[in-house]
Order: sequence, then C-alpha cells, then structure tokens
Amino acid sequence: MLRLADADRVASVSWLSRDAANSNVAALADRVPVNHGLAEEVMSHRPDVVLAGAWSSRTTVEILKRLGVKLVEFDVPRTFDEARAEIRKLAAAIGEQERGEAMVRDIDAGLAALPSPKPPLRALVMQPNGFTVEKGSLVEEIMNRAGLENLASRVGGGGYLQVPLEAVALQQADVMILNGEAYGAPSLATAALEHPIIKALGRRLRVVALPPKLWTCVGPNLVEATRLLIAQTRGAGTAAR
Amino acid sequence: MTAASVSPVARAEATRHAWLVVGLSLIVACALVGSLFVGYAGLDVTQAIADALRGAQTLPAIVLVELRLPRALLGCFVGFSLGLAGAAMQGFLRNPLAEPGVVGVSGAAALGAVIAFYSGLSTLVPLALPFGAIAGAIFAALLLFALVGRGAGTMTVILAGVAINSFAAALTSLALNLSPNGFSALEIVYWLMGSLVDRSLPQVWLATPFMLAGWILLLTAAPALDALSLGEPTARSLGFDMARLRVRLVVGAALAVGASVAVSGAIGFVGLVAPHVLRPFVGHRPGRLLFVSGLGGAALLLLADIAARLLPIRPELKLGVITAMVGAPFLFHLVYRLRREA
Amino acid sequence: MRIDIEAASVRIEGATILHRVDLLLKPGEIVGLIGPNGAGKSTLLKAIAGLSSLSDGAIRYDGVRAQEIGAARLARRLAYLAQDGEISWPLRVEHLVGLGRLPHRTPFAGESEEDRVAVERAMKLAEVAQFRARTVQSLSGGERMRVLLARALAVEAEVLLADEPVAAVDPLHQLRVMDLLRRVAAEGKCVVVVLHDLALAARFCNRLVVLAGGCKLLDGSPDELTDTIIARAYGVSTLRGEHLGQAFVLPWAPLGPHNG
Repeated sequence: MLRLADADRVASVSWLSRDAANSNVAALADRVPVNHGLAEEVMSHRPDVVLAGAWSSRTTVEILKRLGVKLVEFDVPRTFDEARAEIRKLAAAIGEQERGEAMVRDIDAGLAALPSPKPPLRALVMQPNGFTVEKGSLVEEIMNRAGLENLASRVGGGGYLQVPLEAVALQQADVMILNGEAYGAPSLATAALEHPIIKALGRRLRVVALPPKLWTCVGPNLVEATRLLIAQTRGAGTAAR
Repeated sequence: MTAASVSPVARAEATRHAWLVVGLSLIVACALVGSLFVGYAGLDVTQAIADALRGAQTLPAIVLVELRLPRALLGCFVGFSLGLAGAAMQGFLRNPLAEPGVVGVSGAAALGAVIAFYSGLSTLVPLALPFGAIAGAIFAALLLFALVGRGAGTMTVILAGVAINSFAAALTSLALNLSPNGFSALEIVYWLMGSLVDRSLPQVWLATPFMLAGWILLLTAAPALDALSLGEPTARSLGFDMARLRVRLVVGAALAVGASVAVSGAIGFVGLVAPHVLRPFVGHRPGRLLFVSGLGGAALLLLADIAARLLPIRPELKLGVITAMVGAPFLFHLVYRLRREA
Repeated sequence: MRIDIEAASVRIEGATILHRVDLLLKPGEIVGLIGPNGAGKSTLLKAIAGLSSLSDGAIRYDGVRAQEIGAARLARRLAYLAQDGEISWPLRVEHLVGLGRLPHRTPFAGESEEDRVAVERAMKLAEVAQFRARTVQSLSGGERMRVLLARALAVEAEVLLADEPVAAVDPLHQLRVMDLLRRVAAEGKCVVVVLHDLALAARFCNRLVVLAGGCKLLDGSPDELTDTIIARAYGVSTLRGEHLGQAFVLPWAPLGPHNG
C-alpha cells in the first residue's frame, strides 16, 4: 500500500513494515507513523479505510467492524493471478486504481523480461525444522516461473511436509532453497547450511538462500524473488546435473 | 564354611551379571545397526558401507556417513548419558524418581544452549554451545542439591524439580523474546522437544568428549553410591568423602546431560525408565546399576528414534514426545507405588 | 589399636556438648558408653569414628591423628554402626553385608576371595547366614539389626563402634546382640557401645563410661557403678540383685526434683 498511496494520505502502517529484514518497504515506512495493530491506536487516526491482512488479530478486526469502520480484508495469495487481484483490490480500496494497474503492469513486464529456463531443475524448499512449502502456494509459483520443480509435491500428498536432509539428498534434488538470510542473526533455518552433507554433495546440490521478505509479500518483490532464483540456479558455474 | 563352598554361589551371580551386560550390549548394537538401515527413502546400506570403506563418494555412502551414522551414534551416546545420569542421581538422592528431565537439569541445559545459540556465541565459537548447556546443567544440579539436602523425600525432589523446570522455562522464554532473530521462538519450539534429525558428524565430535568425561566421573562413583545405601554417616565411615562425591556427581551429570542436550534438545524420561526397569536385575544395587542403566538408556533412545522414523505419523514425532509418551505414565505408576508404600 | 582421647570438647552453636573428656581405649574390652539423653554419647562416638570434628582436644589412633591416617585407611581399621539403621534400597542380605568390604576393595576390582570369606564369617558370627538371599526389608527389626551388625563385622576392623544397636529391638535380639559384642571383644577387638539400657550395659560391658552434661562421671568396671553415680546421671534409684552368681542392677524409681 505504501507504494500505491502518497505518504500524506497514509495515516499509519504496521510497525513490522519498518523492519528492514522482513519488509520490502522499510524506507517508505519510516516516513509515516506506525501502529501495533491495536484498535484504539487505529481509531485514534480516524481513518477512512482500514486494511487488514490474514494475520491481523481477529479480535481487533471484529471490534473495528462493530465500530462501523470501513474495513477491507486481504487474504494470502496462492498464485500470481491471485496476487494481481489482491493488488487491484487494495488499489480500489484506497481509490488509487491507476497506480494499482501500473504496479500490476510493472510486475508483468518484469516477469516477462526474465528468461524461462529449461529444463526444470528439481528443487526443495527447506524451512526450520525441516518443513517444506505446501503444494499450490505462492512460493511454488515463483519456483515454477524460475524453472524449478517443487519436489515436495512428488514426495507425498499436500499439506505440510517435513523434508529431512536425507530426502533432499536421496530425492536427488538439484537445488535446495533455504528460507532466510545466509548471514543474518543465528537461526536454526540457516544452520542447515553448516551441515557437512551440503559440502559432500558439492556440485550435485546448489544451495540458495531466499530471504522470506521477498516472497511473503505481494508486490514488485515477487519479480525480485524470481530473478534471484533464476540467477542463483542458472548463473555461471551452476551444475546442471 | 570353607572358602571353596562360597565361590560357586558368587560365581553364578557374577555370571548372571555378565550375561545381563552382554545381552544389553547386544541389544544396543542391534539397535545401532538397525538405525543405519532405517531412513526416509530406500538406501542400499550394505553397498553404502562398501562404498564408504573404499572411500568412494557415492550418494549412498555420503548419506550413510554424513546423516545416518551421526544420528545412530548420537542416539546411542545421548541415550547412554541420560540413562547413566538418571541412575547416578537416583543413587545419590536415594530416590527412584530423580532423573535429569524431572529434576530440571535438562531444562536448564536447554536454556544454556538457547542462550549460547541465539546470542551468536556458538557461531563464533562452536564450543560455546556445549559449554552453555553444561553451564546450565551445573547450575541446575547445584540448585537441586541445595534445595533437596541430604537424601530427601519424594515430595521435596519433585517440588524442587518443578521449581527448577519452571524457572528454566521462564528464562528460556525471556531469552527467545530478546533474541535478535524474530523467528527464534517459533523455530526453537521443535528443537526443545528433542530430536536427532539431520545431526552431523561435527556435532558428534563436539559433544562426545564431554559426554565421555561425564561417563567416567559418574561410573567411578559406583562404590560410593553403594555405600550411600546405608546412609551418609555409614558411607563416610566406610571411607567415602561426601562433599567430593557431590562435586563428582554434579560435574559428571552436567557434562553428560549438558553435552547431550546441546546436540539433541531436551529429551526426558530416559533416565527414569531405564534405571527403574533394570534395577531388579542388579539386585537394587546402585553401583551396579550405573553402567547397565546407561546401556538401557542407549537401547531405549535408539529404539525410540527408529520408531519415530517408522511410524506413519507425519510430521515426524519428536524424540522427546515419544519418550514422554512412554515415560509419563511410568512416572504416574511410580508415584502411585511410592505413595502406597509410604 | 589404642585410641587416645585427650581433653575432647565439642561446642555447637554456643552449647557445650562435650567438655574435656579423656578416655583411653584398648583392644579386648567392651566399653559401655552410657548416660542420659543429650549427654554427648553419640557425639563422642562420632568423634572417635572420625565423623565429626572436635572443637578442642585431640584423638590419636596408635599415636597418630585421624587427618594423618587418611579416611580410606581409617575406614579399614574402624567400623561404625550408625544409630538409625538406614537402608535405602531393598538389598539382599549378603550384598548388604558385602558393603562392609568396600574399604578394602581397590577401585575397579570386584569381590576378592578374601572379601567373600570375610562376609561369610561375619554372617555366621551374627547368625544371619540363613537370610543371605532374602531382602533386608523382609526381615524383622531385630534380624535387620543383626544384618547391619554383620556388615560392621565384615569390615574386620580393629575397633567396632556401635551407636545404640539395641534401642528398637526385642529382648531376644537385645541379648543375642550384646552377647555377640562381648564375644567379638573377647577375640581382641575394641568395642565401644552407646547404650540406653543401664541393665544391659552393666551386665555385658567390662568397662563403663558414664557421661552426663558432656562431662565424664565414671570410667571403670561395672562394680564401680554406684547408686550415687546413677542418681547423679539419671536421677533414678536402683534395684540391685544377684542371679546365678551374676549381679544385676535395674533402674527402679525416679528420685525427687532432679536437675540432671
């Protein structure tokens, strides 16, 4: 939303937006007041419209609805099409349809400009505690666009799957995508990078660290995420099994 | 009664004990090998072993050596540490309910590990992780012995354990709250439940020396624990220094349990079940129970880890959950029995 | 072994438990350490056993102090039978008696032949050999006391210190245990027994040490135990008599207001 509206029209945004590690618009968010998702805070700004995400506190949303505030709720998009729809919906909610369309066009152009690598490489996403991404999620779309086949859908049914390193190795994945910054604060997620089997697999397995902020939000960052994946998996010196 | 007529009885007993040790060792060995054969996808283990011995870097060999072997070794060593520490604590506190998880030593070790990890210390200095866990364990053990005093009753032991566990859990939450990594609280929840998934050989080399040191300290306390069955004054009159014994047990248990927790998270109840099941087989002698209990713990943990992989439940059950499912009813049964005897 | 107790004093939190007690213990005698509650008997026994330290004075074992002998070596020469026979685990009798051999065992060594012989001898002496395979918990109080005594005998020490071994035991076992202690002393050991029972002490011990208020009132043969001393120590009058050539003394009636 920060990209679509002028700063003086924005009464306040979530405090999480300022966290550079997890937000793509941290710089923009610095220019406007922040709130912590509390009904009182939100009401104090007397907004014309309130935008709530799927992760906003349910109780807060209920209170705001009862207070008669115009509330627009957004879901988590699972495909590029849904992402485009979300952008358009948000733009309509704040009366900036023009800018919304422009953003969608930019994203489409950005994606079109990227190569479509063939043949698809086999990839697995590794999150902390070995969880992988479920079938039919936005990450999978990004992976597919980047020429990566999500092995998780082959390993089993839908729903949450756990992928121990052994499966990564034995499924003969070409790419392992880690959710996190390789050199950020210590986390179990990136601790997997240290496992000697990664080195032992050597050129057989390419490891890519994909910062979550690039694919947990809807916006131009989706292009960046796709571009990063393509660059890291098909760039110079990549083994194509 | 001549000397000659004394020996056969004693010799029979020594033989029985030897059979017990051999039998348990065999179970552990089988479980160890079994653990190598169980995994997430088909793997020709015999081929992998042959490849590994040849030095060939084939995929099966890599998976066997880098993933399955550390997991099996840690299952064995961690299980041994927990079984041994449990038996040692029970011998010292003269109470069959004491074990690292129940009395809070594991929880405090987990706290130490969490602090070492999320503060970034262990990334700079890998040794910081086991050190942190061991420090946490020492603190808890000292606190425990201070609260419980000499040969305390069941109530005191359990209450002290509850207090220490609560405190450790609170501090762990605090540490996670303050951690620079915003997702730490989420990802650590599973680690705290205890697991051996995706452990590596470097972790084995890191933890094993500490565990070994702990084992030696605990196993050599066997005669003192035997003497302690008659109470502290008598044990002292038999030439055993109680203060030194306490230090030996605190440090030994902290080393064994701390190093274990540093690599596997907090796994409880192994130190409760193994000694309890095996105690009748050693005539209730606390000294003899130590080594045997270690073997029992190793067998228990290896089997639990194999079960975790074989059970069709996904996500995979955490080791700590499996041991708790077996151990908690056990604890209830023990408490009930002790109440009846009281 | 001769034990020389010189001016032994023990003070705990300002209270004087023992005041300048002198005592000389020699092998071959059974010494009854008697006196009212709180007289310091157990404290003195513990000090002799090396389990508690003196505030003043010294105890020498064949001329050497405990610190110079070392706990391990002292444990081989002194056996101590504690007051409340604590047994934490349901051990078999022969294993429990075997614990008495711990001071003699080298680390990592199992039971030696010598150990087994000593254990057999101790069980036979205490007449508990028939219980060898039973757990201690299944025995009566008196039988359990004999097992604990066997454990102390298994040490094969030169000195046996027993703290109220017959306090909670029935008359049959009281007599058997005292008789056993007397025989053990006759074989050449030095036996010191803390007793509450005046009659038993006077009958079985060949030397009596009377403590009251931390001070020694008497150190001599049972014949020297006069009514005056008994009155001063216990505040009771006595009934004396003779049976089959043996004299006995029984506490009889409380004496008037007494500040003993």
